[in-house]
Amino acid sequence: MAALPARAADKLTVLLDWYVNPDHGPLVVAKEKGFFAAEDLEVELIAPSDPNDPPKLVAAGQADIAVSYQPQLHLQVAAGLPLVRIGTLVDTPLNTLLVLEDSPVQSIADLKGRKVGFSVAGVEDALLGAMLAKHGLGLDDVELVNVNFSLSPSLISGQVDAVIGAYRNVEMPQMALLGHPGRGFYPEEEGVPAYDELIYVAHADGQARPELSRFLHAVEAATHWILNHPEEAWDVFRSTDPALDDEANQKAWQATLTRFAHSPAALDHGRYRDFAAFLKERGLLDEVPALDGYAVDPNADQ
Amino acid sequence: MNVLRPLVTAGGILGLWQLGVWASGVPPYMLPGPVAVATVAWQRRDLLAVHAGTTLTEIVLGFGLGSLIGMLAALLLVLSAPARRWLMPVLVISQALPVFALAPLLVLWLGYGLVSKVAMAILIIFFPVTLAFFDGLRRTETGWLELARVMDAGSLAVLWQVRVPASLPALASGLRVAAAVAPIGAVVGEWVGSSGGLGFLMLQANARMQVDVMFAALVVLAAMAVGLWWLVDRTMARLVRWQPDTYENNR
Repeated sequence: MAALPARAADKLTVLLDWYVNPDHGPLVVAKEKGFFAAEDLEVELIAPSDPNDPPKLVAAGQADIAVSYQPQLHLQVAAGLPLVRIGTLVDTPLNTLLVLEDSPVQSIADLKGRKVGFSVAGVEDALLGAMLAKHGLGLDDVELVNVNFSLSPSLISGQVDAVIGAYRNVEMPQMALLGHPGRGFYPEEEGVPAYDELIYVAHADGQARPELSRFLHAVEAATHWILNHPEEAWDVFRSTDPALDDEANQKAWQATLTRFAHSPAALDHGRYRDFAAFLKERGLLDEVPALDGYAVDPNADQ
Repeated sequence: MNVLRPLVTAGGILGLWQLGVWASGVPPYMLPGPVAVATVAWQRRDLLAVHAGTTLTEIVLGFGLGSLIGMLAALLLVLSAPARRWLMPVLVISQALPVFALAPLLVLWLGYGLVSKVAMAILIIFFPVTLAFFDGLRRTETGWLELARVMDAGSLAVLWQVRVPASLPALASGLRVAAAVAPIGAVVGEWVGSSGGLGFLMLQANARMQVDVMFAALVVLAAMAVGLWWLVDRTMARLVRWQPDTYENNR
């Protein structure tokens, strides 16, 4: 462990998007292995009861940083929430359109007339709509069912023919372990522009705070440590909570390793602009706003 | 004047709400004012109507079936001592289970359609009805029962002609509670799994930061609950006209 800092560490409250899972690897490792302490930070990680809450809590000044989703950020900023993206946790989409492996749905076109379950996130019909459009179908050709937290149960029990919103690194290995392997269609291969699944957002008024740069520095160091010591990193992760130490999480951990952003502070301008344009085209945004209003690289020269 | 009074109260609350929103400058994603909610309710009236129709069907079916099951359960409890001993604990346990915990399973068993929502509404409705009706049936005035005995009435005749009519005021209380909680059952069902209804719309609106749409859906839901309550209240008042409402007479 790092030596005691000479002065009191700065406190940061980080709201996770979900209960702790392998997606949060760099945060957990940075806390446990002292990467935050080395940056003079005392970081508290809090899991929410509803994944839609954290950005609102940050906007209301109740927390410093929230783990959120790029697609949702566009909608939140359009609704007037004073939020900016300050970093990236996972820089590929994880969201997957999932069917059971033995499903008759061989192509997205086969979804015509079938039920598709989703966990409410606000953008699922934009993603699904684009994926269907690529195969000559529209949202009217399927029945959308809100299955809330029961993504894999609803699919396994046969209540729906497909689900969107399942994560390729979490639900897919979990279902395989249960004896019901799934087959995925990936949005970024089926007509949806690539996006950052998990990002860090902060309040727009505090985007120049030096703690935020130090926070990103620490998670970057933790990410590289995970990449260099994957087995040891899994041991650190599972030792933080007995509930995490099972086979499903271990499989998910391996599937998540390649997904962590190697350069968390770096901002891909084109990616945000293109996704905003995509949401506008799908009718969820009225206009494509200026990027510097809602996404920044906190280390860039101002 | 009777119609105006609740409107004045509601208007006063709305006015304070709008004033509070203006004065505090609270952003619309935290709390929209009533003007914003009314505007969006009018603009999206087609959307609200479609989802309200779904929820209303669930509520009416759930209320009807739940009340019926509740009344039958109360009669069974009154008629049979073994039923009282064996069923009562089960009924109480069924109420101790939080519906929210059961809801995801009910949806998996019964599907994402109408059936699971109606089942959820029945689950939370039938118990208040059973309990109120059962209590009413038990507390028949002894004088009436003695009169029936003097007139040599059989036990079924006592039940139908004395106990049931005498218990109607109590049943009315149970039905009024059921009318007020029926929308909760339907919306809980929609929350955990559905492809339509006001609960579905509210979840979606919340995720899209359309807080005004969410409030509009809430207002429609509240209006439906009040409407159902009023209907039940009037119907039961008509049915038990022989028992004067002393509260109203004292005006």
